[in-house]
Amino acid sequence: MGFLVPAFLAGLAALGIPLLMHLRDRNEETPTRFPSLMFLVRLPIRTSDRRTVTDWPLLLLRALAVGLLAVAFARPFLGRAAAAGAAGRVRSVVLLLDRSLSMGFAGTWAAAQDSARARLAGLAPDDQVAVVVFDEEAEVAQPWTKDKALARAVVDATAPVARGTRIGAALRVARSALVSAPPGAPEFVLISDLQRSGLSGVAGLALPKGLPIAVAAVAPAVRPNTAIRAVQARRVADGGRVQLQVQAHLVTRDLPAPRAARITLALAGREVGVRTATLPETGELVVTFDAVPAPGTAVEGRVAITPDALPGDDTSRFTLPADDGLALALVLPDDVAREETLYLERALAIGRAPSVRLEMRRVGALDAATLDRTAAVLFWDVAPPGGPAGERLGRWVEAGGGIGVLVGPRLAGRRGALAGVASTAGRADRTPAGAMLGDVRDEHPLFAPFRGAAAALAAPRFFRYARLEPAVGADVLARFDDGAPAILERTSGAGRAVVLATAFDARDGDLPLQPAFLPLARRLALHLAGHEATPLARTTGESWAPRVLRRDPVVAAPDGTLLRPTGAPADAAVILQQVGVYAAYEGRADGVPRARVAVNVPAGESELVPASPSELLLGVGESADSSIRGVSAPTAVELESRQRVWRWFVLGAVLLLVAESVIASQGWRGRARRATLVPPERS
Amino acid sequence: MTAPETFLDPALLARIADLPLLARTVVDGFMHGLHRSARKGLSLDFAEHRQYQPGDDLRRIDWKAYARTDRFYLKEYEADTNAGVLFALDVSGSMDYASGTVNKFAYARILVAALAWLAQRQGDRVGLATYAGTLVEMVPPSTRHLNLVMHALGRARPMGEGALPPAIDRVADVATRPGIVVIVTDCYAEPAALGRSVDALRARGHDVLVFHLLDRAEETFPFDASAVFEDGETALRLPLRPDEVRDRYLGLWRAHRQALERRFAAAGVDYVPLHTDEPLDRALYAFLDHRLSRSRVR
Repeated sequence: MGFLVPAFLAGLAALGIPLLMHLRDRNEETPTRFPSLMFLVRLPIRTSDRRTVTDWPLLLLRALAVGLLAVAFARPFLGRAAAAGAAGRVRSVVLLLDRSLSMGFAGTWAAAQDSARARLAGLAPDDQVAVVVFDEEAEVAQPWTKDKALARAVVDATAPVARGTRIGAALRVARSALVSAPPGAPEFVLISDLQRSGLSGVAGLALPKGLPIAVAAVAPAVRPNTAIRAVQARRVADGGRVQLQVQAHLVTRDLPAPRAARITLALAGREVGVRTATLPETGELVVTFDAVPAPGTAVEGRVAITPDALPGDDTSRFTLPADDGLALALVLPDDVAREETLYLERALAIGRAPSVRLEMRRVGALDAATLDRTAAVLFWDVAPPGGPAGERLGRWVEAGGGIGVLVGPRLAGRRGALAGVASTAGRADRTPAGAMLGDVRDEHPLFAPFRGAAAALAAPRFFRYARLEPAVGADVLARFDDGAPAILERTSGAGRAVVLATAFDARDGDLPLQPAFLPLARRLALHLAGHEATPLARTTGESWAPRVLRRDPVVAAPDGTLLRPTGAPADAAVILQQVGVYAAYEGRADGVPRARVAVNVPAGESELVPASPSELLLGVGESADSSIRGVSAPTAVELESRQRVWRWFVLGAVLLLVAESVIASQGWRGRARRATLVPPERS
Repeated sequence: MTAPETFLDPALLARIADLPLLARTVVDGFMHGLHRSARKGLSLDFAEHRQYQPGDDLRRIDWKAYARTDRFYLKEYEADTNAGVLFALDVSGSMDYASGTVNKFAYARILVAALAWLAQRQGDRVGLATYAGTLVEMVPPSTRHLNLVMHALGRARPMGEGALPPAIDRVADVATRPGIVVIVTDCYAEPAALGRSVDALRARGHDVLVFHLLDRAEETFPFDASAVFEDGETALRLPLRPDEVRDRYLGLWRAHRQALERRFAAAGVDYVPLHTDEPLDRALYAFLDHRLSRSRVR
């Protein structure tokens, strides 16, 4: 049963009115006058009875009448299921079965299968059923059929997979299935552990009006779990050697007691590090392995902990690209002096893992071969080329390259656009005090070295700098203290372009002489090259476009399946369906792969906190989709028959009020009323 | 012809606002049904002449005086004029109560007006004392004070807390000339204290007649539902469940009545309980009886 106007149920609060009337001192405001109480005050009177209900029958009658009226105004109606059942209609049931990783928790999947089988067994022979299995994606595993054995076979054959949960996708597929549903009363049966993380995407979904959704939450409320949420691995320079440092971020939840765990690190299939740690009942723990010698080639690694009830999230894989140096093309103007770029060259020469290799070029010599060799191009006080060379440069940026423009006195002196990021508008002269950087967006990767040391960026003084006007879509990463943009960025495809309002020399400021210069210059090179943009691992359900492959790419999945990336040549990608390491090849899948990517389960699958069924449908709306069979709008007669019950509530209330009047006017109640209602007469 | 009782029905009389008219209606209605012989046998000691007033018995006209003065005079006798009747009317808040159609104060006012008219008609001097906690207004007895008495009655309003014994003591103080004191009250006072005050009146040579005004609800306490009761005088409020206290209340009430009767009898005072729903004739009879007894004593 539901209500057309449930707001009127607030009227049930009026139930308190009869109670208050019965509890209050009767006629306290208009008391019964009596000539003198000189005799009554001598009597011992039990005052404790003043606040007790003395007339329960009348109170119940009145409260019941008020309650019936409130419910009647809320317009109760019979549910569609009840109406359909009463009419003996055939049901069309969509069984939605969650097969995400979290369903692999010990005992959960068996309970889900049992629940699904029980639902199937409860269907009538004429009822139709379709089975939708889902994780991050959903598919109709069994189209509409009356043969429950087929549906049962699908349930038996399905098993949890190492993927996330998106209940919204499942409901959408199930809604689509209703379009082809045979005539009957449609119904959804959702069998899931109702992970809260799987609810994203449900809000905004519109389901047919009046569609019943039965939710079978098969997981227990508390499921203790330990998971590796993330792994950090990086090369660090240790004297003359390059070491690999690995950290694992562990999370635990609802463990009955702290437990000891063994955490292992394996590189290229060989165990190279072990740690033991005591995991808290609920909390987080960071485990740092001893640094190990890092090979110069790409590294494939794996961190694992002792398996628990949900083993799927107890292993985390990662890949670290080869340390083959970072090639940076420095494009110089024709009239550049040798000492202008001295500070930059020296700064980029310092540092390893990765090391930076500079390649000096003039604007006219920036050809395709140079772009193929380099990860980033830095224009030293010279504008990026236009025409065909500019288009080529644009495509290169779209594919993941990075360009930077250092605006010195040459560029600042002329007006013009710079790489679609900004345009110059003159030159500012702030001598002798000089300007300083302010309003720095320190969350940007470019400023990562300065987090916690913001004063370092405020130290340099800039006496002259270019006035830049940001282009549409460009972000201002830092400004001078007068509000003028100092560093701007605009992303384009997989690449990026950065423009700085000053050059890296000591003629117009003291930036190269300040401690901030070295990390800033190196970070700019790494950022332009997209060095930090390559994640160590991805999660199932993501797509991967191995852009390093230019011809005939082929990708080998962890189970050996060969996949052809689909889509535009520049963005051809594969969907990462399996946990493990995907390898990309050019032409044939043999030899050394050109690229690798490690794939783990989504971190949300380790969050086993369940949601309530009502929470699931919180954001689900209703639609009147006439294309869905059996969910057509009810007829006027049917609507009337479903809501006519309100009349009985009103009739009941009226009868109760009549009874109340009769009872209240009879016997001692009536005498009492007559005796107290006559006012004293005044002459 | 209208039955005499009609003129004495308190429910009917309560609708008449003009007190003199009311009193005359009552007395005439009463006297109309009264046997004439009731007035015979009064004292024959001549006291003075009084100018004829419409309604006076023509047989009492002194024709000799008429022959001399060409005006009608009536001969007044000693017994008619020698008594001063002081009506002591309780105007405390408790008198402002009615469970029926007539409240106690309205009844008392009609009663006093009628008795005053009757007394005046019989040649008595009439006066009025109203009291609540203390004396409110005093009209000394006089043959010419009937109008003042009527006006004082018209002004009187029942209110405030009553203190009957000290009020009667105060009446005794101001009524120095012995006469008849008619106390009209609902007797909400301790019988012993009230008796002492009446004793003081008697000691000063007054004949005392007490009309105890009663409402039926005071005698039966007919309430059933739980309610908050408010004292008519003090406004004290008391939440009560009448079922629980009725028997004990009625017991106390009856004991009070019996104590009053005993105490007034001991004091030689006529005690007349009057219910507000009963005709006035019994009160008038009682007054006349009392008046006659006093005449005989004199």
